[in-house]
Amino acid sequence: MRSVQAIFVKQAKDMTKNFAVLSMFVIFPLVAFAMTHFVARGNYDISDTMFTTMMASVFAGMALIQVACSVIAEDREKKSIRFLIIAGVKPLAYLMGIGGVILIASLISSLAFAYIGGFAQDEFIAFMLVMMSGAIASVILGATIGIYAKNRQAASGLSMPFAVVLGFAPLVAQFNERVESFVGFIYTQQINVVVNDFSAGLAQPLTVIWLNIAVLAVLFVIAYVKKGLGG
Amino acid sequence: MKNQREECGRPIFNGDLCAQRMTKTMISMSKIVKKFGSQTVLSEVSFEAKQGEIFGLLGRSGAGKTTIINILTNQLKPDGGSHKIGVTSYETGLMLDEDGLYDRLSCLDNLQVFATIYGISDKNSKDALDKVGLGESANKAVSHLSKGMRQRLALARAILHNPKVLFLDEPTSGLDPNTAQGIHQLIQGLQKQGATIFLTTHNMDEAVKLCDHVLLLHKGKIVEQGVPTEICERHDAVKTVPDLEKVFIKMTGEGLS
Repeated sequence: MRSVQAIFVKQAKDMTKNFAVLSMFVIFPLVAFAMTHFVARGNYDISDTMFTTMMASVFAGMALIQVACSVIAEDREKKSIRFLIIAGVKPLAYLMGIGGVILIASLISSLAFAYIGGFAQDEFIAFMLVMMSGAIASVILGATIGIYAKNRQAASGLSMPFAVVLGFAPLVAQFNERVESFVGFIYTQQINVVVNDFSAGLAQPLTVIWLNIAVLAVLFVIAYVKKGLGG
Repeated sequence: MKNQREECGRPIFNGDLCAQRMTKTMISMSKIVKKFGSQTVLSEVSFEAKQGEIFGLLGRSGAGKTTIINILTNQLKPDGGSHKIGVTSYETGLMLDEDGLYDRLSCLDNLQVFATIYGISDKNSKDALDKVGLGESANKAVSHLSKGMRQRLALARAILHNPKVLFLDEPTSGLDPNTAQGIHQLIQGLQKQGATIFLTTHNMDEAVKLCDHVLLLHKGKIVEQGVPTEICERHDAVKTVPDLEKVFIKMTGEGLS
């Protein structure tokens, strides 16, 4: 528990001084806010929540994968993880500390999205549930990629294809039914499905998202066993 | 010559604590073999470091020094042989060539991460910074430190929890003589407190000045070991002061090959 606390505090302090990472949590809600207020409002062809939906899916898929991946890749590149492991920090404690900060930052961004979207109480709860579930999936995927990346540059290159597919698949699906049917198993698409129509229910989307989490967790364990965290 | 009388600062007699300290084996390796692919990096390396001793590991770049530290600290698994450290991993401190510091955090924040992990008070972090002369830079971001200051901070992190065994991988590499001397004094101070120090270095003067026992490693094999002054005498390398560098070049070859 001490280790988780130490890593959590370190990561929280570090993130407030890391502009590149911090901006990821600010820029997507900011774009959603700007597009909603300056494009969607007063335009009857566009729903008021369209840009919130769009940006929230992209944020959950794209930003969080890159953040988790780059944080772990940086600690590996600078050999900081080695000192932690030698000091007795277990890999799970490390990941809980790092993941905890990213999830809390995601929670704050998600609250901002919810405010911009102007969701009613039930919608708000559903939105936060799918966003946080999606965030967990992205953090696990980002950590898996981070394990394979030798440095931050490699992390960026490795995570980009995943981030683009997961971030933009729901966007493309909005305009193409074939793509929509094909990407239904992806967790970011399920976030999109829920936010587009809150009345459709949460059970199926949440099941798909948590199945994604289970598969990603298995992939993470395989990556960890093969590569380890220390680098 | 550095001997037990000097380091304890008093005469040695039977039952002396300092002498007793030097008899217990703290770090040992027996017939360690390590290969990276087809290349053998360590070939049946065996040695023992006694408690309270400063043990120097000397060798050219690529001789296998860091590999030995990595094996002893369980970062690498050997392909053969056995090794043992007489304390838990919690009781070891480590300073590597790559410092692993968090650049965006302050010196104090860097140490407090480890103070929390070790379950020791924040006062220890401040004390460790004072010991390495970084007390006034406690709130400075690591990215603003010079190389020497970074190395001192890495040393502060290594000694934060008063470890019984300290691994130092080229602790004074690239430092100015004053900073290097400060680090030497710190290392000797830690030895006086009973720590066993395992040191790698390219600096032969440093080895003669600090080490009770040295081991010369060349292409993964031990080519010489013993008390520095005795090694120099064996190789007829004593001028006005013991010339361990002469022995080193004789044993490991000249030039850049």
